[in-house]
Amino acid sequence: MNRPLVSTALVVATAALLGGCASSQATYVDPASTRTLSNVGEINVQDWNMAAESMINSLIAKHINSGSVKGSGPDGRAVLAISRIVNNTSIQVDTDMLVKKIRVALLGTGKVVVDITAGLGGPEDPLAAEAKREQQFLGTQKVSGRPDYTLSGKIIENRTRQGNQRESTYVFQMALATRDGLAVWEDEKTITKQGKRAPVSW
Amino acid sequence: MNSNTVRALATATLMALLGAGCQTVNTTETAQPAFQRNLVSEKRVITDASLARKVQILGVNVSDGPGGFLKVQAEVQNTTRRYQRFAYKWEWFDKDGNLVEGPSSVSIIRQVEGKESLFINGVAPNPSVRDYRLKLYENAR
Repeated sequence: MNRPLVSTALVVATAALLGGCASSQATYVDPASTRTLSNVGEINVQDWNMAAESMINSLIAKHINSGSVKGSGPDGRAVLAISRIVNNTSIQVDTDMLVKKIRVALLGTGKVVVDITAGLGGPEDPLAAEAKREQQFLGTQKVSGRPDYTLSGKIIENRTRQGNQRESTYVFQMALATRDGLAVWEDEKTITKQGKRAPVSW
Repeated sequence: MNSNTVRALATATLMALLGAGCQTVNTTETAQPAFQRNLVSEKRVITDASLARKVQILGVNVSDGPGGFLKVQAEVQNTTRRYQRFAYKWEWFDKDGNLVEGPSSVSIIRQVEGKESLFINGVAPNPSVRDYRLKLYENAR
């Protein structure tokens, strides 16, 4: 083999190796699409999206679209507060991945406003809570005291295995209650995923 | 084993293998339904002929609730004898044709058995929505 041929082969091999390195560059993916990654043991972006979409559609179709939603908020809009969302899964999740989407959608309907000064773990916005207390104390402006509705929920997990096939089921449950403590809307969305267990590497 | 037996066995094995992925659905319903769907005329743009051959939209009906939110229901049928997976996404438009975005405008994955039909429901994110578009995607995971 002559020397120029060896040099050319070396250049081509180096270029190929460098090209391979460049492939580790990150690629942007639309989080609303089905191109995001998903696995069996976790609640992925697609799962949160599907659970939120189901809950939003159900809440609008079964409750808000009935025209019965009226409240003490501005322009007669209903005031909603977020109650406890229990995570009964074995994984640590931020339930705002679900709740925030629902809140945004409900606000977008023009029929609901969310009270961010009421919350089980303290107000979401402490400054807004302080301003509200001040308004209530001074009585300068009409401030709604209690929310008209509260939203609560639970996420449950069920795992099973058959051979090297694994299955995870995540159940999203939500309820909307009035001031009287009566649930006026409830729904459940179940998402099941299957996958093969990765082979053990030594 | 003579050649006829071998041929018969091979044919049976091939049929069994081909039939393994085919599970169709038998349905029953009233001959004269008590409801009447408000079916709308649609314009279809098909760029994925492969998906259009497998999953077809049979009809779309639209209704409006007292709250003024548009509710759309599309009936989709798997025209093949095989289990299919697809994704769909709703897009909503106001009276001026502007896209109304929201957290519910995401791709949703559905599965449909061979020859089965199912309904896809969409609810407008707010009462200003006057029109819709339904997108179907193939190769959903």
